[in-house]
Amino acid sequence: MGRLSRRSLLAWLGSGAAGLVFSGQARAQVGPRAATPLPSFTGPGANPYWNGVNPFVSYPQKLPLLRITDRGIQLETPRPYFLSPFTPNAAFYVRYHLELIPNAVDLSTWRLSLEGNVERPLQLGFDELVKNFKAVSVAAVNQCSGNSRSRFQPRVPGAQWGNGAMGNARWTGVRLRELLASAGIKSGTVQLQFQGLDRGPGPEGKGADAVMKSLDLTDPALDDALVAYLMNDEPLPMLNGFPIRLVVPGKFGVYWIKHLTWIRALTSEDTNYWMATAYRIPDTARGNTTPADAAAGKLKTVPIGHVRMPVRSFIVVPDGSSKLPSGLPVRVQGIAFSGDGPVVKVEFSENDGRSWVEARLGADHGPYSFRTWEHTWRPSRAGKHVIAVRATDGRGNVQPDAPVWNPGGYLWNRVERQALIVGAG
Amino acid sequence: MTGNRCLGIVLLAAAGALAPGSTALSQARKVPGLVQEGNYAPGNLGMQMQPAPQNNDAGAVYGVGPWPTYTPPLADGDGRELVQSFCGICHSTTYITMQPPLTSATWEAVVNKMIGTFGAPIPEPSAQAILAYLKSHYTPETRKE
Repeated sequence: MGRLSRRSLLAWLGSGAAGLVFSGQARAQVGPRAATPLPSFTGPGANPYWNGVNPFVSYPQKLPLLRITDRGIQLETPRPYFLSPFTPNAAFYVRYHLELIPNAVDLSTWRLSLEGNVERPLQLGFDELVKNFKAVSVAAVNQCSGNSRSRFQPRVPGAQWGNGAMGNARWTGVRLRELLASAGIKSGTVQLQFQGLDRGPGPEGKGADAVMKSLDLTDPALDDALVAYLMNDEPLPMLNGFPIRLVVPGKFGVYWIKHLTWIRALTSEDTNYWMATAYRIPDTARGNTTPADAAAGKLKTVPIGHVRMPVRSFIVVPDGSSKLPSGLPVRVQGIAFSGDGPVVKVEFSENDGRSWVEARLGADHGPYSFRTWEHTWRPSRAGKHVIAVRATDGRGNVQPDAPVWNPGGYLWNRVERQALIVGAG
Repeated sequence: MTGNRCLGIVLLAAAGALAPGSTALSQARKVPGLVQEGNYAPGNLGMQMQPAPQNNDAGAVYGVGPWPTYTPPLADGDGRELVQSFCGICHSTTYITMQPPLTSATWEAVVNKMIGTFGAPIPEPSAQAILAYLKSHYTPETRKE
């Protein structure tokens, strides 16, 4: 390489040979084949890897994803799929709480029920939803409340996600408010409860038989909410909620009920397990607390639906799986998003967060979407480098460079880093 | 073989793209910078058969095949069978192996949550044996695999 002129280097870069080098670098972690596999678990320290350490597995309608658990099913999206602003359906992460997950649904008998404190209880067939209501689309990120839980120190029990419990899709369906209007929500309604077809074998009423989530009727997030029957212009994969799922842009995925089948208008606050006990966060800045305070049991908590997803950004490539050749510019690429207004700025640091330069933003797909970013980095020397990224959203929230801790393992949004080795020339 | 074609093959070798069976050629020539080639590891390819297309059923039922499952190897010891049978009522034991090492107090809270909150039908002596097993094999001090 040392004797190539700039001109011949460019010609070489344009040839197939360059593809071999660069795709090898950028995609080294796409496939399950590894020279040295990751360990089978991490801890008690934080998981140092971008994804969780779990193996690749194959599921119906899915590309190889990373297994968290197999019954109920929880699958993490591998890092390389986040190079694009829209996550392919076949690569979109999967998170169920209970084990009775539909394998087949009969659309001739399936109905979406609107019931409870309504003027006109409705039973809507799939074709009625599609034909009788206006179709609208929104690009929105679905992120698990516990995305990046494996970063917590001390570690907390729960699905040990790396960063891949998230995805962005263009969701198409019916406005929730339009459905509510056709059923006629009666006065005295305080919350709407959502439930899907998936169930569990536990005794009734204790949380292990059904998952139900509720949002306040007055929550402005409901104005943007959809009942979606298309995901990236295709039917939903079974594991992402076929035939329809609730889409609540800006809110964590636990509210995006899959296989949505019941919408209930409640006249008092929902006290089921999934609202009163699970998915609650300390009512503090960033949901932050300490193990000592949590153990003392004196925390005031609120449902995680009281907050929007905090701003985050990620480095997708380079991923550290290969040494970077000396002397070449490095195209650093990633995504950013916020549940609380659009991403307005992404900053890159070549020195572990000591100084920052603004990165270039990709196309704007709307305030709830992933926004791609990139930056051309020219490493000045061979050796180890730590690059970092942070985003700012439209409300001026800047990603903090401090960890967060709470017993549920929720709301992680610390500045992301990537260690890289630049080789000698 | 003409000189040009030979040069082309050498360049391909430098890019790591030469097909198997080429060792005779590479042994015959010194290639600048080449450190290793022809490194094939024995073992399976991780092969899986491709799914067949859906059949021609035009009815209203939309379905997929069964969800695959996996029984992870659990540490050998007293109580393992109780863990597999009782915990396995509601979930696979990947829920255990997937966790980081957890403290004894945390395992106690987890087992109490399964029984008290979720209603797992585990008799008290079995619950104690399950807890003892988890503490013996899945804490920061005891976890090996």
